[in-house]
Amino acid sequence: MLSAFRSALATPDLRKKILFTLMIVAVYRIGAVMPAPGVSYPNVQACQAQLQDQSFFSLLNLFSGGALLQLSIFATGIMPYITASIIVQLLTVVIPRFEELKKEGQAGQGKLTQYTRYLTIALAILQATGIIALADRGGLFGECSQPVLPDNSVYTLALTVLTMTAGTAVMMWLGELITERGVGNGMSLLIFLNIAARIPAEGGNILNNQGGLVFFFVCLLGLAIIASVIFVEQGQRRIPVQYAKRMIGRRMYGGTSTYLPIKVNQAGVIPVIFASSLLYLPNLIGSLIGDQNEASTWQRFLQTYLVDQSSWVHITLYFALIIFFTYFYITITFNVDERAEEMKKFGGFIPGIRPGRPTAEYLGFVLSRITLPGSIYLGIVAILPNFFLSITGQGNNQNFPFGGTAVLIMVGVGLDTVKQIESQLMQRNYEGFLR
Amino acid sequence: MALMSRVGRRLRRIIQRPASVELTRYEALLPAIGEREAELEKLSDAELTDAAARLRETEAFGTEQYVELCALGREAARRALGERAFDVQLLGTMGLLSAHVVQMATGEGKTLAGALAAAGYALQGKRVHVISVNDYLARRDAEWMRPVYDLLGVSVGWVEPALGAAQRKDAYAAEVCYGAVSEIGFDVLRDRLVTRVEDLAQPEPEVAIVDEADSVLVDEARVPLVMAGSVDAGIADEEVATIVRRLRLGLHYETDPDGRNAWLTSAGASVVEKALGGVDLYGDDGADRLAAVNVALHAHALLTRDVDYLVRDGKVQLINASRGRVAELQRWPDGLQAAVEAKEQLPPSERGEILDSITVQALIARYPQVAGMTGTAVAVAEQLREFYKLEVAVIPPNTPNIRQDRPDRIFSTPGRKLRAIVEEIRTVHENGRPILVGTQDVAESEELAEKLAKADLPCVVLNARNDAEEAAIIAEAGTYDAITVSTQMAGRGTDIRLGGADGADRERVAELGGLHVIGTARYPSSRLDDQLRGRAGRQGDPGSSVFFASLNDELVLANAPDVPEGIEADPETGEITDPAAHRQINHAQRVAEGVDLEIHRNTWRYTRLIEHQRAELLEHRDEVLRTDLARTLLAEEQPGRCEELAESVGEETLTRVCREILLYHLDQLWADHLGYLGNVRETIHLRALAKEQPLDEFHRAAIPEFHKIRAEALKRSAKTLTEASVTEDGVDLAAAGVRRPTSTWTYLVQDNPFDSDAEQALKKVRGMLRKKRT
Repeated sequence: MLSAFRSALATPDLRKKILFTLMIVAVYRIGAVMPAPGVSYPNVQACQAQLQDQSFFSLLNLFSGGALLQLSIFATGIMPYITASIIVQLLTVVIPRFEELKKEGQAGQGKLTQYTRYLTIALAILQATGIIALADRGGLFGECSQPVLPDNSVYTLALTVLTMTAGTAVMMWLGELITERGVGNGMSLLIFLNIAARIPAEGGNILNNQGGLVFFFVCLLGLAIIASVIFVEQGQRRIPVQYAKRMIGRRMYGGTSTYLPIKVNQAGVIPVIFASSLLYLPNLIGSLIGDQNEASTWQRFLQTYLVDQSSWVHITLYFALIIFFTYFYITITFNVDERAEEMKKFGGFIPGIRPGRPTAEYLGFVLSRITLPGSIYLGIVAILPNFFLSITGQGNNQNFPFGGTAVLIMVGVGLDTVKQIESQLMQRNYEGFLR
Repeated sequence: MALMSRVGRRLRRIIQRPASVELTRYEALLPAIGEREAELEKLSDAELTDAAARLRETEAFGTEQYVELCALGREAARRALGERAFDVQLLGTMGLLSAHVVQMATGEGKTLAGALAAAGYALQGKRVHVISVNDYLARRDAEWMRPVYDLLGVSVGWVEPALGAAQRKDAYAAEVCYGAVSEIGFDVLRDRLVTRVEDLAQPEPEVAIVDEADSVLVDEARVPLVMAGSVDAGIADEEVATIVRRLRLGLHYETDPDGRNAWLTSAGASVVEKALGGVDLYGDDGADRLAAVNVALHAHALLTRDVDYLVRDGKVQLINASRGRVAELQRWPDGLQAAVEAKEQLPPSERGEILDSITVQALIARYPQVAGMTGTAVAVAEQLREFYKLEVAVIPPNTPNIRQDRPDRIFSTPGRKLRAIVEEIRTVHENGRPILVGTQDVAESEELAEKLAKADLPCVVLNARNDAEEAAIIAEAGTYDAITVSTQMAGRGTDIRLGGADGADRERVAELGGLHVIGTARYPSSRLDDQLRGRAGRQGDPGSSVFFASLNDELVLANAPDVPEGIEADPETGEITDPAAHRQINHAQRVAEGVDLEIHRNTWRYTRLIEHQRAELLEHRDEVLRTDLARTLLAEEQPGRCEELAESVGEETLTRVCREILLYHLDQLWADHLGYLGNVRETIHLRALAKEQPLDEFHRAAIPEFHKIRAEALKRSAKTLTEASVTEDGVDLAAAGVRRPTSTWTYLVQDNPFDSDAEQALKKVRGMLRKKRT
């Protein structure tokens, strides 16, 4: 493992790529803590300290690496870009012109990317305006009374919005730079970074509040979780496939490298996000319609059993929803009929199974069986943090950095990046990280 | 200045236009070249040669030398060919000398510009290969330009398939060597299999000047040149062919709309299984039969006689789709050739085992310096930069182009389109104006010729059937009253002069409006359209061009089948004037271009690793070939046997024997490795299902396998050495159970149908994942 790192650094162009990526990361982190113009840094710090319940913006804040609540120049983060690319993807289905572009290969894709960038800027302006308006009215930090934007003249606010929008544009550029000249996928890497950046702070919290022994065990547990997530994420079922389209002649090849892989966790992190968004609804409805001081019975019921993340009802429901969504999502994304049809068209088949209908049925059978442990695994990883609320402090499971979406995304991106480095290393004839 | 040009280049990149090289630097030299002309005119031929020889002595080749070379070249061309090189030709020469791809319109004299540049490189002490598209052009250009080279004191040679080993070596020893891209590539492959240093034909590659650069570097770049050794006589599966012939489309098998794949339905599978005597095709041991059936089905359902291949002299000959002519050296891979032969009930040709292969792109990459020339480079400028790091320099025409390019005429059905084409030919032909018609394939050219004959419009057909006379026919296409129907790109490299090859009738034809070019359908890339248009309007001649198209053309059906509704056609003629139809056809062409580029890029990504491994193994092979490394290595493995042999046959023979044995095993293991990689490549797209990068996974599978080769070769060599009987004459490898292929032959694999399938499948899987992720 270490020697692989050493050889990665010993390969000149790979070293250059890695150093380049690290440089971009440094630039990005500096930007993420640099306050935007017009923002009072001491007041923001004071408000942050007062802040108890972050749940409202926690997910956004998670994806922005804490930059949002710092009101830094990267406060809007890459969310606008992610949203924009989703919108453009959806539009290719709706607008014929976009569909044409998509089909035209490289050149058309280039145009679509261009549109995505424009849309990102538009969305960033919207989001930045929203954040600034909220911060100006004091809504961002709940009860904090310190003015985070001392000078709220239109000019200053406009300047702040402009800076944040530019920040998003710069982030987009940084991401593309990494993809183009560094290692890994830039955008994923930036998200990874945002999540990872919070670990030291949360760790520090635990150390201060709970003492060294608890901290030590949390670290140990964290490592164990990460290791097991890596283990499961790499697990796959390999269904042998033969392509009988060529007459190869006298040579026979072992079927070891021609297979159709199905991952244990084929669905990825999406079911967890679906489930947690759905569970967040009661909380949202509750806070929208009711005054918490004189809550009705059913509101109190909601509060105790659904909103409170340490309640057994909440945890069980969360778990069940994740299992449901895993199956649901896989049924949509892994179309066994389409796979079987495609294999038939290109002359492939699973030995012993006839193409077409029987192949689709077989794939469906394997898929549904492997999804069961996959979904249970997802559920467990997702609910783990809920058991540690007393350690990480009340409120939100996202604060625990070794569980739920955070660890799944981190491990996913980490594995991808390492694999890419490894592939480049292998081209230069070194042994890899992963055996 | 440098800063400005850097800024300019950045700007051009930002607006995403292919950058072209600034020519002002060279234009500034033209007056100086002109001044030198008068002095050089006074020299005798010998003095001219001496002046050229003096260029060899200069250390740096800078501005001064450019001027001298161009002036000498112009004078030499005037004396040898009676042609004074135009300024624009010299610009082209200088563009080539600075290693760019120059774009010069048809008929502007690329051959001379290229020859002067080749001489320029040769005078710098570098060996130059001028790479042409075919053997005819290589030989013609070399012989045509020889007097110019002689005057400049540069030796010249050419290679063609008929040459023997010694002549070949001589040709390559010349300072400038002309050759077709396939011929030069095959020599590279042959050199990789020699067992004696003195058998090597090619010296180290130094400079390549590529003629018709877009065709060679882009269209043919993904076609691998393959070296095969015959294993045994091919087995034509008559039985399977007979069974497949009885199958019916729709009931027993289906094909996809773009005609790339055919597959059995379950009814078809049962019929075949019964006919074959109740085997289970999809069982563990049915794979061989299934492959035979699939290949036969492919031959039966997807390959059409006279469109995809010809049967001539009892042999199946492929038609190169991008040139519309017989591809002499091409064969289908992996049993498809035999299946087609079985389909046509011809005797099977030899079955080969692939020993080695190289793509055109990798072939060009061997040269440290590459330059190119073509009529249409700007359209592929992006690709030239991406794949070859070459920039394009656009040379203005000597006299401005006055050809009229009329807008496309679109018809509702191909039938109506054909009728309109005949009508157009009749009208234009009335007053004797020459017409050149470019068709899509051989069958279409014959169909049109038949229609024209019925309409009493006699025409000359130029297609794959008579490519021997190609150059002669195309040269006459500008004659008064001529109608020439040709397939795409026929006669590249031959000029069409107005009034015939001798230009006798030039005035009369020019008055009528020059050559009129008609395209019967848009080609899969706008560049090919431009090539056809470029046949008219040579060197400021008058001329015109028009393309006919229909919304049911193959281009549209394959790439953009969902035509918007509400496009009205004229009920009488079937002509469509709706701009939406024009847009649809342009869109279809862009899709086709995009798909091609994607395939090219992907092929390159996958072959890059293979080329890398090949280079690494070759380095080892070269060491074995040139030193007595094999003897040393085998002495470590089998010290006893080596000593014993050294005594019985002598040290020298033993060294040779060791070398031969080790080289044999290295070559054999490489051939096996290639087969393994092909097999992995076929299913690698499935890895995308587990969200893995297929390319990375390909590397992961390929690299450990490669690392076993050297050790395995040594192990097997040691075994052979102990088992084989070694005498003073050497070793009898055949008796030891290992033998070199009895004969080797080479071929270009026709644009691999299987590979592109994998690409299509990969794209589909990716598209699906992307869609679902959002």
